[in-house]
Amino acid sequence: MTTFLALYRTLLGAVASRGRVAALGALGAAAVLVGLAVGLSDPVDADRAGVQFVNGLGLSVLVPVIALVFASSAFGDLNDDGTLVYLWLRPLPRWQLATAAFAASLTVTVPLTVLPLCIGAALTGAGGAVVAGAALAVALGVLAYVALFCALGLRVQRALPWGLAYILIWEGFVAQAGRGAGRLAIRAYTRSLLSQAADVRLRLGAESVPTAVIVPIAVAVAAVGYTTFRLGRHDVP
Amino acid sequence: MQPPSPSVRAERLSKWYGDVVAVSDVSFALGPGVTALLGPNGAGKSTVLRMLCGLTPPSQGTVEILGRNPRRDVQASRQLGLVPQQEGVFEQHDALAFVRLAAVLHRVADPEAAARAALATVELDADAHQPVGTFSKGMRQRLKVAQALVHDPHVLILDEPLNGLDPRQRLHLIELFGRLGAAGRCVIVSSHVLDEVERFGSRILVIAHGRLAAEGDFRAIRNLMDDRPRRFSVRTDRPSDLGAHLLGSRIASAVEVRPDGQLMVETGDAPRLRHELAPLAAHIGARLTELEPLDEDLESVFRYLVGPR
Repeated sequence: MTTFLALYRTLLGAVASRGRVAALGALGAAAVLVGLAVGLSDPVDADRAGVQFVNGLGLSVLVPVIALVFASSAFGDLNDDGTLVYLWLRPLPRWQLATAAFAASLTVTVPLTVLPLCIGAALTGAGGAVVAGAALAVALGVLAYVALFCALGLRVQRALPWGLAYILIWEGFVAQAGRGAGRLAIRAYTRSLLSQAADVRLRLGAESVPTAVIVPIAVAVAAVGYTTFRLGRHDVP
Repeated sequence: MQPPSPSVRAERLSKWYGDVVAVSDVSFALGPGVTALLGPNGAGKSTVLRMLCGLTPPSQGTVEILGRNPRRDVQASRQLGLVPQQEGVFEQHDALAFVRLAAVLHRVADPEAAARAALATVELDADAHQPVGTFSKGMRQRLKVAQALVHDPHVLILDEPLNGLDPRQRLHLIELFGRLGAAGRCVIVSSHVLDEVERFGSRILVIAHGRLAAEGDFRAIRNLMDDRPRRFSVRTDRPSDLGAHLLGSRIASAVEVRPDGQLMVETGDAPRLRHELAPLAAHIGARLTELEPLDEDLESVFRYLVGPR
């Protein structure tokens, strides 16, 4: 446990740089302001407006982008500056390092996504069901994205453009084409949760609640497992 | 009785990146003591060291650290300390936190005390709460040495550890590596600075063009180079006469008399020169004051081994 905590603290320090937290915190603050603006515009259907806000700004942009920036840096930065060797060349099981990177990225991503989006959703005037649905959808989305982008940061040298390509091209475009492709996008499950909780129909939001809960968790477990596997085969600079 | 197994064993080690061969068919076995890994920049030294630590897999061949595969068996790193070549460290940590982290991850019984002792060994102040990001290059090098020593490993691998150090710190670390080698640790130090390597000790591995060019005591290596002419400096009151007689008796293959009277002699048969020079000088009535071999230092060995073929 001591070794895990030492890894976690070190990775948290590396991931949560002041610049990153400030920039992405500002993005969250902007989301709160957007929610407030929506609420002040006195929407006809407040629940629908709240769902559109969480879906359009939160699940499509804020959650994946913030998760990408933090999680891909967990191993990406250490690879780039040559410090990964100080964690890798130690007599510890690789899963500890993979899990510590995942936990450190979660620690900083969760408050910067869940809080502003839930506050923003509440400020739109939406009901409690929408806010609760947003909290669950965002939390599960963060879980899956963080695990995926941790693995991506270890696997490729320029994780940010690759991650953005996944978010914008795959999830934003290809996955919209049909349910088959949509099932390969995390957004389909987070939208489904929000849609079911708020009882508002959303495109790509047709998965059942158990599926929408289980799949992001399974993706997270599989991605952390893959990161563990890759760490054993990684070419450490 | 079985001979003691080596601490580090590399067997037919090769590494290539696409069409570029970085290391080719390198084999050696090292026990306790200091071994200098020598080679020009880009010769493949760092690649060999990275393969020894398991940081990169060999394309071919095997590595063992105390009988374990460092790539597959994380327990191999329990007895392994590495000073990597790159300067990157956890910039926000202070020196004590950085070295204590290594101690904690190695499950050292008292990480705080071990970290303080390791920092004291490299003459860094454990109580200076200065972020290591503000450290000079020399301080970073010593910090990296401290984190490699903190768990008292049996095998210590140091990639250009003296870069950026001032002469006093260099001497201090050279003595430290010597003490560790004498205490039974297997210390492998890479360098491309020859006078530095000469002070580590006489055991060398020479890597040139990705291949192992030589292994062993560098003086013994030089002695084995029978095909290379040896150069000597001779001081005498009659350099021209002595030079002519050395050529005439075919002891020397070339001679040169310098303006200051120094006689430079090149010979393919150094033992004969040593044996016959004094009688020859006596025979012609020359007074011999000095006979000094000029190419038994590491630099000349290195020049012969890695120079253009």
